[in-house]
This record gives sequence, C-alpha cells and structure tokens, in this order.
Amino acid sequence: MTSSDVTEKRVHIIQGEFFVTRDRDVMVTTILGSCIAACIRDPLAGVGGINHFLLPGSIGPNAAEDERMGVHLMELLVNGLLKAGARRERLEAKLFGGARTVKSHSDIGKHNAEFAQRFLKAEGITYVGGSTGGLQGRRIQYWPVSGRARQILLAGPAKIERPAPLPVATVDANAGELELF
Amino acid sequence: MPSMQQLTILVVDDTSVSRALITDGLAQIGLKNVKVAKDGEEGLRMMMTAPCHLVISDYNMPKIDGIQLLRALRQHAPTSKVGFILVTGKGDKALIDEGKKWGLNNFLAKPFAVPQLKTCIEAVVGKLT
Repeated sequence: MTSSDVTEKRVHIIQGEFFVTRDRDVMVTTILGSCIAACIRDPLAGVGGINHFLLPGSIGPNAAEDERMGVHLMELLVNGLLKAGARRERLEAKLFGGARTVKSHSDIGKHNAEFAQRFLKAEGITYVGGSTGGLQGRRIQYWPVSGRARQILLAGPAKIERPAPLPVATVDANAGELELF
Repeated sequence: MPSMQQLTILVVDDTSVSRALITDGLAQIGLKNVKVAKDGEEGLRMMMTAPCHLVISDYNMPKIDGIQLLRALRQHAPTSKVGFILVTGKGDKALIDEGKKWGLNNFLAKPFAVPQLKTCIEAVVGKLT
C-alpha cells in the first residue's frame, strides 16, 4: 500500500457541534480559543467523538443557566457515543482549549475548562489528558477511534468565538483551514 | 390545583449532571418531593413499586428510553394516568408526535431555564400553590 492508497477523511466542527464516528480513518479538526473541545472515546467499542462548546456568558449570576448549555452539549456527545455502541464506564476523555483569549476579560476559558472537568468527574468519565488554559488559541486534530490527538498552538491570541447555531457536523473538504472565529 | 408539598415527582435521567440540574430547578420552584432514577429501567421499577404523580424523563437513555418508559407506564393500570414530561433535544417533532400517541403530557427542550421548567410542569398539573 502506498501513501496515496490511504484515505484520510477529514471533518471540521465548529462551536455548538459534535461528531461521533466508528471510522478509524476519520480525523476531526476544530479551532479553539476560550472554547473547549471534549474528545471522548470507548477504546474497546472502537467509537469516539468530539464536541466544541463555549458556555455563553460566564462567570456571574447567570453562570448556572449558562452551564445548562454546556451540559446539553456534553450530553449530546455522550449519548451519541452510547448510541454508537460505547459503554459509559469505558469512556475516556481528553480536553483541549479554554485559553484566556483577552487579558482584560474575565477568564471564561478557565471557567469552561473547570466546567468540563467537573462534568467528567460527575459522570465518571476517565480524564486521560489534554491541554487547557494559556493565552493562545489552538488548532486540534483528533482521530476519534484511536484517541490520537494533535495540538497546534496558534500565533497570537485567538479572537473570542461567537455562538453558532446548534447542529449537525458535516464533512468539510476544506477541513484544516483556519476559518473559525 | 396541586399543592407543592403534595406533588411527588420522579426525575429519570442517565446523566447525573442533568439529573442534578433538574432537581435543583425543582427545588428552586419549591418542589421538594422529588425522587431520582439513574435510567429508564430504574425509573420503571420505582414507579411500579411506589408511583409518583409526575415523571420528568430524559428521552435518550440506554436500555429503556423515555418513550418506552412512557409506554410501559401507560400500559400499567396504577401508573396509566400519571403526568409525563419528556426532556429532549430541540427539533424532535417526530419524537414528540410518537410520545403524544402514548399520552405524553408535555415536553421540555434542552437546555432549559427554571422558569420554563415551572411553566412546563404547571401546564400538566395546574398552577402550583
């Protein structure tokens, strides 16, 4: 087999989306600033997925309401994995993102990362690594079935992402381009 | 018009954080008689042994999903008339239509805020006092 015989399928997701696959040739990309990407898989079932979320506001009086959105997006991913054959007790997760994108703002990135960690702990999902915090945005490449993840730090601070309409991830032939933000 | 003290509620959700969000919301509304089940199977078992007035159930659960739980409750005389609220993602019209065939009383789209939860409950049981 030559390298040209290997077909790597790329999927790009943006904020508010999630993607689940059993295809080991699929590589998912996403661009993160203060957002978080949870990369979760069941190694035994050979199924994995990723989401990309930002708790809308914050820190402050509306934090609890904002966390409902985060819970919903985490739940969509976990339910998608279970539906594809994963078992909850075997799930393992990596977390990326949560950068402090603008120094003068509240540290929303940190708040996002803490929320994701709390969610994993509460749901008994094993945290196996990742990279959160810092001042730079990240480009993430994730192979959901193998669990392999690659992070590329972006030069300079990432811009704050704006919430996008919820839903369905689509295969993007131009995946990998820096098109978010 | 039900009294908040009398109304018994069973929350069924396999995601513990979601269960906590719903029960916290119920507590904020003033509803304290709340039981929880970690999945549809446990919810069904609990309703068979000690029925509650109202079930608030997630749809997407392993083993027994929210609609299957609703169907099982409707087919069992002691629980056939209990209120049932299905918690779903947005845009699940087909799912809601399927639920209505089995006597679904109301649904709640995630993510929801506490006032929406209260309105949804009151639409089923009447104004809470």
